[in-house]
Amino acid sequence: MTLPRSKIGMVCPYGWDTPGGVQIHIKELAEYFIAKGHEVSVIAPVTDENFLTEPWLVSAGRPLAVPFNGSIARVAFGPVATSRVRQWIASNDFDLLHLHQPEIPSLSLIACWSGQGPMVGTFHTAAAKQRTLVAAGPILEPVIEKLTARIAVSEMARTTLREHFQTDAVVIPNGIDSAKYASATKRAEYSSPVSLGFLGRFEEPRKGLNLLISALPAIARFFPDIELIVAGPGNIESMRKSIPSNVRSRIRFVGMLSEAQKADFLRSVDIYVAPNTGGESFGIILIEAMAAGAAILASDIPAFAEVLQGGEYGNLFTSESAQSLAHNVVSMLKDAPLRRVKSGCALAASERYDWKNVASEISDVYEVALASGRGVSLGSDNRGWKRFKSND
Amino acid sequence: MTNYLVIAIIVLIFAWYLSFSASRLDRLHHRVETSWEHLDALLQRRAALALEIAHQSDLDPALDLLLTASAYESREAPMADRNEAESLLSESLKVLRESAVSGEITIKVALLDRLVDVTEKIRIAIAIHLESVSAVENLRKKFVFKFFKLAGRAKLPFHYSFEDDQL
Repeated sequence: MTLPRSKIGMVCPYGWDTPGGVQIHIKELAEYFIAKGHEVSVIAPVTDENFLTEPWLVSAGRPLAVPFNGSIARVAFGPVATSRVRQWIASNDFDLLHLHQPEIPSLSLIACWSGQGPMVGTFHTAAAKQRTLVAAGPILEPVIEKLTARIAVSEMARTTLREHFQTDAVVIPNGIDSAKYASATKRAEYSSPVSLGFLGRFEEPRKGLNLLISALPAIARFFPDIELIVAGPGNIESMRKSIPSNVRSRIRFVGMLSEAQKADFLRSVDIYVAPNTGGESFGIILIEAMAAGAAILASDIPAFAEVLQGGEYGNLFTSESAQSLAHNVVSMLKDAPLRRVKSGCALAASERYDWKNVASEISDVYEVALASGRGVSLGSDNRGWKRFKSND
Repeated sequence: MTNYLVIAIIVLIFAWYLSFSASRLDRLHHRVETSWEHLDALLQRRAALALEIAHQSDLDPALDLLLTASAYESREAPMADRNEAESLLSESLKVLRESAVSGEITIKVALLDRLVDVTEKIRIAIAIHLESVSAVENLRKKFVFKFFKLAGRAKLPFHYSFEDDQL
């Protein structure tokens, strides 16, 4: 018994045209299920509606920038978004809805509120008890409760869900396409005699680039050739100006990378450093680095420690400590054999996160959800008085 | 006059709240039933698969007996003894899988694949079912639900203690 051919509706709460983990997750999941012969439609906030990148993408209007969880979330709500979501549910004959992050005020919450039928929710965030979420708990609980099945992307996300909504979830991690990373090659443009790599939206404080920069002078005392290669979207010029002049020459920006370039980048640098200070619930980037065979140094925030199995697949440094970061970089650079052993283990372990394993687990969850009856409709269509009226 | 109006509105809102809560609970009861049906179907499939493996493989008599007996038991056991029977089958299948992996016994690859597949599905189905059971239990503990008997005559769902760490 496998999942019968279904029509699946996925809801993305964040602006589709801004890069982010949730968006990529949804995109690859949608593509996987389409390749398996299912019909998939994704609704998301889109900035430029004349430019829909995928045929299965539906726009719910322009996203609004709202500060959330230490960064700016581009979400959509309000009457336009609500009516578009309702219309999308009503006009498509979905067997099942998959809502991502239904706990934040965006499309998924609207869909969860309006829809009735098999619904699966995926929770991506992990956060300590948040006052806003605690306050919203009694309002959100009856809505979240409508989900037929819940998925958390990590043990951390599951704990968060338990604390805020007294409900449990199946843990299924995010997926990657390991074949893409297995074919990565070393490239001269991403390497130097001794190189550290940083990848991500470097302007966001929680990504921790400044911490890494402040550790550079200490590392340079042991390895004078050290170079930090920074990849990712952001304003390079203004960032460069904010860097202290004594290390400016050691930092090279290579801009935003394509998926294939990213794999090559991770393979090329001597150590990939993830100095994030928090706000991560999963750390897909670490899985990608593992699959590319990189040596990894990450901060010991719970999400990263979970992925790296407490240091088995890479080193962990004390979060927000430049001293501990520098210390780890130096000891890793000195011990090349151990570095290779660790990244070898990491490469083998990353197989578990390949889409074929992850998506088959998600499809098992879909099966359970579909057991409660096929077909999603608008909740209000089932209200007593409406049924009564249509019987007239 | 306005007093009566206010009271009427409050009564209306409260009535709406009761009906809203009752439909919440009804939805959860429905979820418990459907997730149990799905889990039950998977467990039955596993028992059938266990019997098939026992028939088709060259097992030692002890493991054969254990497997056949526990598979038979999990198909026939009354509801109250079900979790015990299923746990026994989980344990025997775990022994079977471990000996197959270490090469002590040979099982057809197709059968082993199906076993791994159904075990994974059961693990997920158990988690989702138990979650829905505890959601009903939590809600029914609340005062409003108890006092106004919003659960009606629906029985409290049976809390199986499936041990998914054995899967």
